[in-house]
Amino acid sequence: MSSPMALRTLLRTPPALRPLLLQTSRAAYHSYDHAEQPVYREAERTILSSALAHVPTHGFTQEALTLGAKDSGYLDVSTNLFRKGTFDLVKYYLVSQRMGLKDRIQFPDENIGVGRKVRGLILERLRANVDTGIVTRWQEALAIMSLADNIPASLRELGALADEMWFLAGDTSVDSSWYTKRASLSGVYAATEIFQTTDQSTEFRDTEQFLDRRLEELRTVGGTVSGGCTGESTAE
Amino acid sequence: MSSLSLRASKRFKATPPTFTPWVCHACRQRRTFAFTTPFNQQQPPPPQQQQQDDNPTHFGFETISSSLKASRVGAVFSSVASNYDTMNDLMSLGIHRLWKDHFVRSLNPGIRPTSGKEQEGQRILDIAGGTGDIAQRLLDHATTINGDTKTHVTISDINPAMLSEGRKRFAASPYTTADRVDFLEANAETLPTIESNSIDLYTVAFGIRNFTHKDVALREAFRVLKPGGVFACLEFTPHLNNSLLDAVYKRWSFGAIPLIGQVVAGDRESYQYLVESIERFPRQEEFRDMIKEAGFMVPGGGEGEGWEDLSAGIAAVHKGVKPV
Amino acid sequence: MALRSAYSALGGPSLPLKARTTPLAFQLQSRSRNVSSRALSSTPKASQAHTAPTDPPLQSLTKEQKQFLESALRVNHAGELAATLIYTSQTPPIVKAHPHLRPLMKHMYDQEAGHFKTFNHLLAKHRIRPTAMYPVWHAAASFLGWSTGVMGREAAMACTEAVETEIGEHYNNQVRELLKWDEEAKARGETLGEDLEALMTDIRRIRDEELEHLDHAVEEDAKMAKPYEVLNGVIRAGCRGAIWVSERV
Repeated sequence: MSSPMALRTLLRTPPALRPLLLQTSRAAYHSYDHAEQPVYREAERTILSSALAHVPTHGFTQEALTLGAKDSGYLDVSTNLFRKGTFDLVKYYLVSQRMGLKDRIQFPDENIGVGRKVRGLILERLRANVDTGIVTRWQEALAIMSLADNIPASLRELGALADEMWFLAGDTSVDSSWYTKRASLSGVYAATEIFQTTDQSTEFRDTEQFLDRRLEELRTVGGTVSGGCTGESTAE
Repeated sequence: MSSLSLRASKRFKATPPTFTPWVCHACRQRRTFAFTTPFNQQQPPPPQQQQQDDNPTHFGFETISSSLKASRVGAVFSSVASNYDTMNDLMSLGIHRLWKDHFVRSLNPGIRPTSGKEQEGQRILDIAGGTGDIAQRLLDHATTINGDTKTHVTISDINPAMLSEGRKRFAASPYTTADRVDFLEANAETLPTIESNSIDLYTVAFGIRNFTHKDVALREAFRVLKPGGVFACLEFTPHLNNSLLDAVYKRWSFGAIPLIGQVVAGDRESYQYLVESIERFPRQEEFRDMIKEAGFMVPGGGEGEGWEDLSAGIAAVHKGVKPV
Repeated sequence: MALRSAYSALGGPSLPLKARTTPLAFQLQSRSRNVSSRALSSTPKASQAHTAPTDPPLQSLTKEQKQFLESALRVNHAGELAATLIYTSQTPPIVKAHPHLRPLMKHMYDQEAGHFKTFNHLLAKHRIRPTAMYPVWHAAASFLGWSTGVMGREAAMACTEAVETEIGEHYNNQVRELLKWDEEAKARGETLGEDLEALMTDIRRIRDEELEHLDHAVEEDAKMAKPYEVLNGVIRAGCRGAIWVSERV
């Protein structure tokens, strides 16, 4: 299934960076028997998680990082541990939210379709932005992510999030729709998250409606534009 | 006729011409002094020291015994001290200023004053920083950008001539009157006057490749730093990443730099040593591993890089954080 | 702090490893495999009673191992896709000219379809990216099957022989690598892990079936195809190229 969202996401990305949308992580084999290497070291984790607690008040700035370092018993100068400074803080937020998604939402009822599950996952991830108080500062984070040096890593994280959502929703297709699904979900998620940063409605209801409109688009247009490849559609 | 044949026979002598490099008078005096120091005389040194110090090490492309290296390096820097900055400008075409600015900016020294809380200033130790150019930048950044007027920098160097250049630079500076800079003549491998766990930031720019025992210096750095303190090193790399650029760079290094040294400073040998010592320095991965071995955590993740290349790999910034 | 606990999801999750990382669809399978072979560990929470029992996880796979598994399974998946398509396109012209070959073609196709299904499942389970060249291999394999089918029985069999030779060798290398890992794990006092052992068994079985196809193809006069060396050379080279590309893209 190809879709205009996927195409739009692809076309908006500069040509040199398009392959990055397709890569999720460097070593993709996911093992169930072997321990997984932690993504962050102990020291990095403590400083960054303490720093995130200061983001609602100080934003994604060096201030927040320094306060986080001091809270964890480090020195101001210890923030040299993070080569990309505030971007490392943003990336930590993205990674921790992505990996925590499976703990935040589970689907005990097997009768929900894949589409409904994806919608639930997106909403839950957006809810995390609100619960942690980050949503008021998220535009700063987006600005940091769009700096030239940071774009590849940001796109990779977006792709990883889309992959995680499809996996948790139970999608098992492994043909070319694997790519189009992730591209379209990345597009939908990115658009909805940007919308959320400007949403002033109660309980972010406007964001939910925005998301529903995007998913509806995918369903109607994606259904008519499908190539010769087989694959499951997002409809339930 | 006989005189002509005599001259001809002189011309066709088989012995190669002898070459005595021209060295300025003061340097020749210092050199002869270095060569006749007690280390060289036929006194049997105590056995352990002999074992440790007589391990051969490199001095540029020469191999000498470890005990001699410090004095030989000392001679080089005494000779280049007076026009060190000029020579740096000529050798790196002024880029060394950009490297040093980037180095200090990325370190971000200085503590932003927070309302209400009275805090002690950062203590910075600048090793092998005799002429004070890094110290100047550190203090300027801390004061101007972070508004920190309490940061203190100790400039340390093994060579008194380099330190006197530093004193000259800071002679009329407000930092001297505010007591924010002091000078320490010491070998980086042993810093007895500096207490353990007392330094916030330890910097060494273009100095560590001259140390006799880099691992000892790294361990000493680990000792003096506070937990959470940062070790930062700016140094040349032995090879560039791109082999084509590397070939060009090496031609410049070995061809032009000693020549500039001879023409401008009248001291070809010292600059030959400087260029050769760069070649002998370990590669970035190796040096990063040495930093880790001393106990530091390097930025950039466990298996990733722990350094930053500058100018396509001509120089590199290595950092390490002392665990808490 | 509530905020902190949300962020420390990276260390110390509360659910056992298998339940945390497996969507329910896959848990059903692992559950049926685990209950018979392992004693249940003591998990006090009632909600966890239905999930798979935990064993301490094995030492993590190295980056190289993960990359090997990822590219190996991706290539296998692409290979089986190509094989099923080749048989699908070869069957109509062949069976029209030689009706007696229908059972053989059907048998080979069924086995390939089974292999394809296995790898589909493994790729989804282990979250491996399928090859981006999927539509290209789809078209190329269909074309290859049709053209050799139209050229005649011997050509079709020569095509099968060439493809199966390359694939058999490829699977052999994979089994060898997994055996090496098995030895290394045993030296550490560990096992390869359930999934990898099952993978090794699967690949062995699949390799044997592919070699069986090879034998059938040779029996059916593959070597009598008119431009045999050309066909064989070109197809084998094409396979090697496709394998190289699929490992990376």
